[in-house]
Amino acid sequence: MEKQEQQGMVEVVADKIWKFFSSVKLAVVLLIILAVVSVIGTVIQQNQAPEEYLKEYSLTTIQLFENLGFFDLYHTWWFVLLLLLFTANLTICTLERFPYAWKAMRAPLKPLEDDGFKAVPFKKEIVVKGGMEAAETTALKALHGKRYSHQLTKEQGMTHLAAQKGAYSRMGVYVTHLSIILIFVGALIGAFFGFKGFLNLPEGEASSVVYLRNEPLWDQIMDGFGISKSPVIHDPRGGVPAMPLGFYVRTDDFEVDYYANAGRPTGMPSEFWSLLSVYDLRQQKVLEKRIRVNDPLTRNGITFYQSSYGTIPNAVGKIVLNVNQKNSPGPGETIVVMPGSSVYVKSIDRTIKAVGMAPFGMRDPATGQVQYYQARNEELINPTVELEVYRGKSLAYRTQVMKVDSGEPSMPENYRISYIDYWGARYTGLQVTKDPGVWIVYAGFILLCVGPLVAFFGSHRKLWVRIQERKGQAAVLVGGSSNRNRIAFEREFNSIVETIAK
Amino acid sequence: MDSAQLFTFATIAYLAAMVLYISYLVFRKEGVGKAASFTTYAGLALQTVALAMRWIESYQMGIGRAPLSNLYESLVFFTWCTVLIYVIVEWKYKIRAFGAFVMPVAFLALAFINVAGISTDISPLVPALKSNWLFYHVLLSFISYATFGVAFAVSLIYLLQDTDERGSSVNLFAALGIFALLVVLGYVLTASGMKVPFWIGLGVLAVAWFTYLVMKGALNKPLVYLFITLCSTLALGLLVFMGIDYLVFSMQGQPAGEGFRKHMFESTFISRSIPVVAVSWAALFSLFALIWSQGLRIKALLKQFMPAQDILDDLTYRLIAFGWPLFTAGGLVMGAIWANSAWGTYWGWDPKETWSLITWFIYSIYLHGRYVRGWRGTQTTIISLIGFLSVIFTYLGVNLVLSGLHSYGGMN
Ligand code: HEM
Repeated sequence: MEKQEQQGMVEVVADKIWKFFSSVKLAVVLLIILAVVSVIGTVIQQNQAPEEYLKEYSLTTIQLFENLGFFDLYHTWWFVLLLLLFTANLTICTLERFPYAWKAMRAPLKPLEDDGFKAVPFKKEIVVKGGMEAAETTALKALHGKRYSHQLTKEQGMTHLAAQKGAYSRMGVYVTHLSIILIFVGALIGAFFGFKGFLNLPEGEASSVVYLRNEPLWDQIMDGFGISKSPVIHDPRGGVPAMPLGFYVRTDDFEVDYYANAGRPTGMPSEFWSLLSVYDLRQQKVLEKRIRVNDPLTRNGITFYQSSYGTIPNAVGKIVLNVNQKNSPGPGETIVVMPGSSVYVKSIDRTIKAVGMAPFGMRDPATGQVQYYQARNEELINPTVELEVYRGKSLAYRTQVMKVDSGEPSMPENYRISYIDYWGARYTGLQVTKDPGVWIVYAGFILLCVGPLVAFFGSHRKLWVRIQERKGQAAVLVGGSSNRNRIAFEREFNSIVETIAK
Repeated sequence: MDSAQLFTFATIAYLAAMVLYISYLVFRKEGVGKAASFTTYAGLALQTVALAMRWIESYQMGIGRAPLSNLYESLVFFTWCTVLIYVIVEWKYKIRAFGAFVMPVAFLALAFINVAGISTDISPLVPALKSNWLFYHVLLSFISYATFGVAFAVSLIYLLQDTDERGSSVNLFAALGIFALLVVLGYVLTASGMKVPFWIGLGVLAVAWFTYLVMKGALNKPLVYLFITLCSTLALGLLVFMGIDYLVFSMQGQPAGEGFRKHMFESTFISRSIPVVAVSWAALFSLFALIWSQGLRIKALLKQFMPAQDILDDLTYRLIAFGWPLFTAGGLVMGAIWANSAWGTYWGWDPKETWSLITWFIYSIYLHGRYVRGWRGTQTTIISLIGFLSVIFTYLGVNLVLSGLHSYGGMN
């Protein structure tokens, strides 16, 4: 009583707040609200262009949704606030309970009195021949056989064994809760100090900036308060803000492989990859990697993911060919020619002219005729080059070479020309992110996988054995309880009782 | 013989098992029960072989990937897991009557593949899908979905036993009235271009109702009864009506597949002919009334077979306690890791991700609900039912319903 009177307003309020945030009821309410609110964001498409919304909703509806933040729901202040409330709830609830759970886990088991034996869910009394000593030995052996750790006490001619295992499984819940907190913390660090951007980089070009989707919050805040200048370059005409990388990244090459059906490319990409190199600001090459979808490149904490590609409108690339003597094991000579122009190749004393270039050609294997197909977006599904080969000024022959050929190109002379690349007409689409919080999130992920396993598949099992002298024999009373998975425990219990009885 | 034929045989076996399990409930002959179990094992064995063959076939086609990558394969795998988990539960608990509830789920899932015209081709993977994380993600997700599915069946039986009364038929007419009102409102609002607000409103109503049921439902048994009736009507009704669509569609000589899905319900609920629409709704309402009036009979029938309610409650909890960690690790964590390795974003709030989070929230509510004083049995069981509805929506609704809701939404 006295103590309560001494508490000031502040303590009372703090206590109330603490109580409020430690309740499981609040957790359930918040989970329900989060679930319901999340649904809204899946029904209304997020972050679409205004024209798309106009197709779908009336102007008043758009106004209403816009004010409520429904078009970017998961980033509105109130949704973030809900998440923060939930995290506060989780943290306080866990802090409140953890000390008790920890104590309960560490505390040694006490021997059980008569009342206690009445209360345990499993018990059995058996009589063992051979006296107290023998009963004690077999009981200990039975317990150790099942990996129980025990406490032995003797009083008033009775031997008490208190044994337990799996006490650690009580920590599973806390590990799980901690994992969620870690994930939140990691996500916050990512939002404050990381960024998400993109870069469409043509073959052969380099860039020292990427274009931002999310500017680091920290930079924004610091800039807002005038404390330090954000490194982000804002386009005064309202273009996409750019983030300097502190190095150059260059696309050396980009390729797409297509699934083939009966030897013909189907136009469905099976893999695409870019050869990227990184140069420092003094233009020294420091890193080179071929990146694929699911296999990115990282430099200074900034990661480049292969995400898309495209052709640059009206761009003219370079045709790269290889000329090699027939039956020669050597690498031959690589030549580069622009579409429509010609190049003199010394090793064969011929001039090769690239007459035309088509993105998708296929040879009919029966007739040897080349047919051309219309590819969507001018995609280079099977680039095909028409060549004229000149001896001096006179035309020797015409031929076609392509990336994947289902027949034989006509090569009447003693060498072979083959297609290597059409370079410089495409760009690679890169997602670029920096996320310093990701490792904390991943640590959270690991705990989130481990915690529930421990919580649900482990169980804290307790056994008590009381051995008493009765008419020259040992009367053994065994009791047990388990906080989970009672059926399995019952089986173990029975087997232990049987072992002792033998 | 190829995998497709074997799948057909497995489907037939499941259909037979479903009929046998239901006859077992009706006639209470031990022999029928044994036959039902045996048919189930046979179906499971056939389906196992079929899955393996499909895997091998994909290698023969030069694509070489696990049969888990498209809607068709995932539905087949889902059924396989469900039956497997059911067989384990039947074997451990020595109770056959669950079969009458689980086998329909398995059979309906397989039937849905045919009815919804889902492509059965073995198609190659786009580059983003070539990831081991994705494989484990899908594998674990579906095992957990199947566990939740069996928990759903057990919960349904629990609730059926729980409702001793359905109240007077005033309840039925009140429910039908509200139902009809909502339907009319739906047509009016859709016609006036307010489709999305209508669905949002409906969703909010549903959630409010669910919340009320969970909090107060145990005291209001007739309401729980209505809830079960509505759930069964919608499940059965949707399938039947999609079947009608399918029949009409194929009678018009059009190939099934993508095209069909775009015309879902056009021969019933959203037909151009008003009488057809009226008849369709009348049929659905009659189904509702029929289930409402017969439910107690089914319950009386079940009474002899069913274990005590606390065993059912415990079984639901154990199933969810098994499925939830798998879903957490496989569904959420591995999905996030995959997304991060492919795009550098572990969480993007796209509808599929968000719905799996919602599902996860619901089962988390289930787990924590048991610690909120007084939430036992009825309430937590209702959460398990809602959880599985959310699983189905995560899995099918996001592609079929949400994208259909938007005039510019594609089907993929
Ligand atoms: C999404 C976040 C959460 C996850 C993943 C989570 C996970 C879990 C799990 C797996 C259990 C074990 C359940 C069981 O034994 O059946 C548990 C228990 C519990 N959770 Fe959470 N939880 C979350 C949020 C919360 C919050 C916000 C609270 C705050 C009040 C809370 C309070 C509890 C309590 C009191 C228990 C029971 C602990 C015990 O067995 O003594 N949880 N939680």
